[in-house]
Amino acid sequence: MTRYIARRLLLLVPTLILVSMLVFALAEWLPGDVGRTILGPYATQGEVEMLNHKLGADRPLPARYASWLEHFVTGDWGTSPVLNVPVFPTVMKALGNSLLLASFALVIIVPTAIALGVYAGLRKDSILDRGITVSTLSLTVIPEFVSGVILLVIFAVALKWFPVTALAPEGSNLATRLYYLILPAIPLMLIELGYIARMARVGTLEVLAMPYIRTAVLKGLPRWRVIFGHVLRNAMVPTVTVIGGQIGWLIGGLVVVEALFSYPGIGKLMLDASTTHDVIMLEAAVLAVAVFRMLSNLLADVVVAVLSPRVRAGEAK
Amino acid sequence: MVAKLWIEAVRWRWAPRLPKESLRRFADQRQEGVVTMTNDQYRSEYAHHLIEQVNKGQMTRRQLLIRASIFGFSATAAGSLLAACGGGSTSSSPAASASASGAPAPKMGGTLKVAVQPSITALDPVTIYDTGGITLIGQFCEYLISMNEDLTLSGLLAESWSPNVNGDVWTFKLRQGVTFNDGSPFEADDVVATMDLLTDPKSGSGAQATLLGILSPGGTKKVDQYTVAFNLDKPYAEFPNMVSSSSYNTVMLKRDYAGDWIKNPIGTGPWLLKKYVAKQSCTAVKNPTYWGKDASGKQLPYMDAVEWVMISDSAAATLQMQSGAVDVQAITSFQGSQALYSDPNLKILEFPATAMKEVAMNVTKDPFGDKRVRQAVGLCMDRVALNQALYDGKATIGNDTVFSSIFPNAPKIPDRTQDYAKAKQLLADAGHADGLAITLTTQQYEEVPQYAQLIKAQCEPAGIKVNLNVISYDQYYSGEGKNQVWLSVPMGITQWGQRPTAGVFIQSMLLPDSAWSSSHWNNTEFASLFSDYMSTPDEAKRLELATKMATIEQDETPTLQTAWITQLRAMKKNVYGVHGPGSFYCDLRAAYRA
Repeated sequence: MTRYIARRLLLLVPTLILVSMLVFALAEWLPGDVGRTILGPYATQGEVEMLNHKLGADRPLPARYASWLEHFVTGDWGTSPVLNVPVFPTVMKALGNSLLLASFALVIIVPTAIALGVYAGLRKDSILDRGITVSTLSLTVIPEFVSGVILLVIFAVALKWFPVTALAPEGSNLATRLYYLILPAIPLMLIELGYIARMARVGTLEVLAMPYIRTAVLKGLPRWRVIFGHVLRNAMVPTVTVIGGQIGWLIGGLVVVEALFSYPGIGKLMLDASTTHDVIMLEAAVLAVAVFRMLSNLLADVVVAVLSPRVRAGEAK
Repeated sequence: MVAKLWIEAVRWRWAPRLPKESLRRFADQRQEGVVTMTNDQYRSEYAHHLIEQVNKGQMTRRQLLIRASIFGFSATAAGSLLAACGGGSTSSSPAASASASGAPAPKMGGTLKVAVQPSITALDPVTIYDTGGITLIGQFCEYLISMNEDLTLSGLLAESWSPNVNGDVWTFKLRQGVTFNDGSPFEADDVVATMDLLTDPKSGSGAQATLLGILSPGGTKKVDQYTVAFNLDKPYAEFPNMVSSSSYNTVMLKRDYAGDWIKNPIGTGPWLLKKYVAKQSCTAVKNPTYWGKDASGKQLPYMDAVEWVMISDSAAATLQMQSGAVDVQAITSFQGSQALYSDPNLKILEFPATAMKEVAMNVTKDPFGDKRVRQAVGLCMDRVALNQALYDGKATIGNDTVFSSIFPNAPKIPDRTQDYAKAKQLLADAGHADGLAITLTTQQYEEVPQYAQLIKAQCEPAGIKVNLNVISYDQYYSGEGKNQVWLSVPMGITQWGQRPTAGVFIQSMLLPDSAWSSSHWNNTEFASLFSDYMSTPDEAKRLELATKMATIEQDETPTLQTAWITQLRAMKKNVYGVHGPGSFYCDLRAAYRA
């Protein structure tokens, strides 16, 4: 197991290098350049070229990449030429904001979704099963900007129960910060709930059909022991893999929710950096998200291994 | 996302001409032995000329105020000119009308929360170009002149200004006793250094595009500690606009400005920068040593602090306004703000403005080389319906000429209205009796996609099939020089920000050498009329020339101008003293909450 984890961690390095190269290359494709972004559409081409030269943005791509990589790995993440702020603290702060929102949402989504899914699975074809399946699935298809606006209009504008932004005033304690995050977390829950609940339901149904469940029931185990000891544990395998895959989205992909709730997360940071050709900011943000995405996948795999002896045994060989 | 196109690659051959009346008097004076006419005499001649224009009915009172303010007459002086016109009562200044509108007495103190677009780049007065950056910089640094919501000019750091007889030297008297927030005095040397920096090609300032061919480095001279002379490259009747808030890079910086504004935020403005978090927020506290006082002698600004909240998403901006989280929106966009119009807790100030979406038809590309096709497209437009659909009926209707009726001394030409029969006839004459297909390339920006859809729908009954090619904002403005997408497509929709005069539009988009001509229209008669237009201060003559130009422009239809977009500023009902934007400048000195 330790060797497996070590190998996966080592694999991070070449993956990150590949990602960083891709970001540089793709940013090159975007129309415009950083000098034009800083000076605006009315500056002359000469002025723009002069600034690009000063910033080193006119050097060939490999040279720029090599110089960026050299600084980046030695811990010098640089200063954004567009915003004139240091990259490292900016990215870390945005990442921290995104992690807080993502974990808050996950803490609510995961138990709720699993409970609903397993319950529906145990009561297959009952009215409750249909009700859960249909309602969670319908909520999943509501885009987050729609549910977000509706929630804001009802709970922030009309009822004034919640603030209209997601960012608590500076210096607020954790409870206040979480209070501010309740509204933005709901659209994420609506989307994820149906997805995860469905996996849990399918997992439960599959396990229920297994001979060992029949054995457990026939040997007279109490129902709760069958469910918690056998069904739940085995039904979780596909669910955990799905959750692992969703964490990446929850951290880096919340551009819409972040914009709607004026929350300075890393999704918006990446979007702004790419539209303003702020390559070093974009690199740092993308790599930070990539690390978390890969770590969450790794974590999911490890949890699956712990839950399922077969996977564990397969890895040991 | 971005404040728009504000350029003037000006090369005006400008022979100064005095008003006819003045020339006659001048000639009389010569015969009487008065050899030269001083600038003061010229000023008084000009004043007489303006009064005559109003009395002859060739100019409205409002136009007199605007022209007088450009020539450096103070509000009081302009008011006495109006009084001299005889007839009805004089119109009051915006400040006076605000205080007369039943607002409660100003209340001191408190914090105002204002929503603004996030600045795209780091705040640097020399290079900013977007709404957020311009609005914020204007709180901490000041212009020589402020352009008011009715397009008149009033002095900020400049107390008065006047041209010489030729119109190529403008002398500005600076306000005395003004200090920067680091304690150093604001003097002529600072103006000289700022203007030399802005006109220096190495500074990267967008102001160069505006000032090119008008003011060169070294052209700004100190006369004495509080007097500056702008020695222009050529006579320029509208120069004060170039150093007003409508020319947003021209805030006055300290003489030793080193390009590090955000670290060292020095200016003469009413507010001091306390904290700036890029793309999120900006906290400003009142400058206790600010020079400004209100009419009753009270120290400005009234409030203790302003918290700027940067919101990029228009839905979020609307919701924040509705929920009461912010007091004022610096700029309220039409699209997405509809919910605010009917909100009983809010008031929305409306200001007729000259921003617009230009529909350009490239005369070098088929089928737009034929003027009948361009006219036919223009005749398909139902302008009232467009205004209703796109701007909630709040825009000023356009007539396919840049001489918007909002501009002072605008010519009156026949309205262009929808006429499918005539459009079909024109198409048939042009050999398109069976209809024709055209491609409209445009961008995902504000209401532009909806506008394109409406154009498509309105062209259809005349047999014009419009294929839409909607691309991203970045794509639309990509490319180099004349090959940029927006300058080379057969037909496109391009947004233009507010301009102080029609001349600025013409210079940038309708002349053969215009930097931003998407139509590539090349009309020598129009160009020569324009050259005359810019060289005469005689209002009657200017109106005559403008009428000719507008008639040619409408007939030739290189571009469609269907609507002049009104600017909106939404605020809570209990907020007072916030005036309209003559530009992106948002003056909060006299703001207060009752």
